[in-house]
Amino acid sequence: MLEECGFVDVEIGPPVDAFGGSAGESNARLFEVYGYAFLARKPR
Amino acid sequence: MSGDFPVDPIALREEVKAKYREVALHPHGSFHFHTGRPLARRLGYDEGLIAGMPDSAIEAFAGVANPFSVGALRPGERVVDLGSGGGFDCFVAAEQVGAGGWVVGVDMTEEMLRRSRTAAAAMGLRNLEFRQGIIEQLPVESGWADVVISNGAINLCADKRAVFGEVMRVLRPGGRLQFADIANGKAVPESAVRNIDLWCG
Repeated sequence: MLEECGFVDVEIGPPVDAFGGSAGESNARLFEVYGYAFLARKPR
Repeated sequence: MSGDFPVDPIALREEVKAKYREVALHPHGSFHFHTGRPLARRLGYDEGLIAGMPDSAIEAFAGVANPFSVGALRPGERVVDLGSGGGFDCFVAAEQVGAGGWVVGVDMTEEMLRRSRTAAAAMGLRNLEFRQGIIEQLPVESGWADVVISNGAINLCADKRAVFGEVMRVLRPGGRLQFADIANGKAVPESAVRNIDLWCG
């Protein structure tokens, strides 16, 4: 979607287990939900 | 329901507002996600930075990853934080851009804005401000920002294209979007996608 919206040079960091040990862990595990850091640029 | 969204964007916004009002008022309450200093450690923020933050600046933090892990901000940069919540990422950004930079946190929840402004004043920070607004219609001048950051907020909006369109508008040409958010590796059933309660726990 980022590229569809016009961003370039899109990078994605490694997954982070943001929900491990929380009340939302079971749903997160069920759908393999992780946190990620994203980097994208607006073209010059 | 309005438009082609899986849930009503207005109803979702009210649900999110109610949830994060609760986080602002009772940050040590019971939520489906972690909060505060333990969460910042889990997400890999710098330990010295975490240790140096007063409780008021970090206890309502509810991010999902570390947007600064893909690159530190540079001195003098102008930054917008989408869904700034309790202000933690703004405080990190303010330190990185220094006195010559400026950080604008945008949040729709009065209680979060009050919390973040109080914490900023207590920390003596003079290079940031918090504005009330929604991230689909940012209260920021076009082309003003060098960098847009966000942490766990974009996934809470039904109209993500509107959010990215606004990011594109407020960024200068060549500017960066560096944000943290969740993504799922397995497809979520249609019934769950349309369940507004599951969007914000």
